[in-house]
Amino acid sequence: MADLNQLHDAVLNGDAKTAKAVTEQALAAGHEPLKLVQDHMMPAMSEVGRRFECNEYFVPELLLAARAMKGSLELLRPLLAAKGNEPVGRVALGTVKGDLHDIGKNLVGAMLEGGGYEVIDLGVNVTPEQFIAAIKDKKANIVAISALLTTTMPAMKTTIDALKAAGVRDQVKIIVGGAPITQTFADEIGADGFSESAAGAVSAARKVCLA
Amino acid sequence: MNFNQLVLNSPRRLALPISMSPGLALTGAKVSDIVTNSQAQLDAQAALQQRYQSPFVLGAMDLSVEAEAFGCTIAVSDSEVPTVTGRLITNQEQADKLAVPQPGDRRTGVYLEAVRLLRQLPGQPFVFAGCIGPFSLAARLVGVSEAMELTIAEPELMHTLLEKCTDFLTNYLKAFRAAGAHGVIMAEPAAGLLSPRGLSAYSSVYVKRLAAEASDEALSIVLHNCGAKLLHLPAILETGLKAYHFGAPMDIVGALGKVAPDVILCGNLDPAGVFVQSPPAETTAKTAQLLAATAGHRNFVISSGCDLPPNAPLASLDAFYAAVKTANQ
Ligand code: B1M
Repeated sequence: MADLNQLHDAVLNGDAKTAKAVTEQALAAGHEPLKLVQDHMMPAMSEVGRRFECNEYFVPELLLAARAMKGSLELLRPLLAAKGNEPVGRVALGTVKGDLHDIGKNLVGAMLEGGGYEVIDLGVNVTPEQFIAAIKDKKANIVAISALLTTTMPAMKTTIDALKAAGVRDQVKIIVGGAPITQTFADEIGADGFSESAAGAVSAARKVCLA
Repeated sequence: MNFNQLVLNSPRRLALPISMSPGLALTGAKVSDIVTNSQAQLDAQAALQQRYQSPFVLGAMDLSVEAEAFGCTIAVSDSEVPTVTGRLITNQEQADKLAVPQPGDRRTGVYLEAVRLLRQLPGQPFVFAGCIGPFSLAARLVGVSEAMELTIAEPELMHTLLEKCTDFLTNYLKAFRAAGAHGVIMAEPAAGLLSPRGLSAYSSVYVKRLAAEASDEALSIVLHNCGAKLLHLPAILETGLKAYHFGAPMDIVGALGKVAPDVILCGNLDPAGVFVQSPPAETTAKTAQLLAATAGHRNFVISSGCDLPPNAPLASLDAFYAAVKTANQ
């Protein structure tokens, strides 16, 4: 019999092996995939985010928690899809062209997945064309762009302009973030939302979708 | 005179921005020249020194050069300092077999030569070399993101790499001293992403060891950590060093309250926010604010929180130095 508290704790403690094992046991015991995500993994990731915000967790702990959650989600995702459980939203996430920093972007991805979003991770140095393809081919309805360099911030605007030129800007909401990004800059380049933290990116995604 | 004596005996407030790139605006060189040519470093520093009459000159901050010496591949561009690409080490066996390079290998020779040239500048400024710290170097070998996880998931692999990085850096520091450097600014940015406990185990222990071997009265080590916060300070002080350089996340006034009066703290104006994104008038104001907040602390040296980005305008650096000059009047 699977102890589902263990799933929560395994994600929280970044223990990918246990998270996967408990997920397998839970599925074998007939637990609903959606409930595993909503009742155990999402609260764990939200606690991870809280601990990070108040300096109880640091980047290593967060990345390991994200890995543990990903391992379980890989088992659950096909089952969720087969049952018609749609994700809250589909996010095309990437670090902007010219920028190779991915730690913050990965944390944002993990928090979004922990918040029930499907994340299409386009990686680093992502061209506008890659974002456009993710919107067209993978039906992303949110575009999330990260930048860490002052020199790559302008590429965020170039990306948004390219989405407009390709006629897909109105199909998506755009959120931006990264250490040098401010709300003022986000407004200037025509993004819909901004967050200065990974946990805040989930609220930002929710907010822009409601707007 | 070592760095601490120079600062503590100075009748005026000193400034030590980590700036090589603005010098390029004066010499017309490209970033790619700086990282491959010691004469270009000398020219840029000489131009800056002439403009600002600083008591300090710095070798460039290039955190790819040591990893390249270990065998990492780098991406080079005209306008950015090279970046390490890919991962050199992916498992314990590779870590065990990794050979430790010699100072002078690959482009490390450019940086040693730059120190020799900087020592010949008129006015005998205090010459700082720049190098990476042991954890940040190990992280570049194994991948920065991966290194974060490995500190918890595979400590042995990280410690194997750290031993080798520390051996190399100890020799590199000795070579800088032999080349005539008065000090070294050792950058440990990746360690600022760790917990205080992680920072202690994966950075401070190794910095302490290499400093014990390579530093003496003749070579001051200034440990730079641009990501550290106040809660990291006790773990950083475990290195036992006498001088530190912090980035914008550090509560510098709080930190000054926690260190002995003979320990120098430098920092911490946000390089992007203050030097690139703010107009010069705001740079002046923010510099003046920090100087006012730290007034009375003879052990504080105002600086940028990290290396100034290549797109930092010279006007920002002018504004910074103007504010320091005003504070000294
Ligand atoms: C979509 O919505 C959202 C919402 C929120 C979002 C978001 C998106 N994206 C992020 N967030 C937010 O959520 C996260 C969690 O709360 C936060 O994400 P962050 O990414 O801000 O925070 C992460 C969790 C932790 N922070 C980080 O991961 C960045 C840490 C520091 C040390 C850093 C690292 C690690 C690296 N670097 Co680079 N690096 C520095 C950084 C200095 C520092 N101490 O901060 C910085 C960012 N680097 C800098 C530079 C200059 C460079 N780096 C470079 C390279 C690298 C490494 C490859 C070595 C490595 C990256 C490894 C990797 N896999 O990511 C080069 C550029 C390469 C390139 N083309 O991208 C190079 C140019 C230097 C060089 N040549 O070596 C500086 C940028 C200055 C500037 N503003 O322009 C820098 C501030 C250091 C400095 N000199 O001051 C929030 O911003």
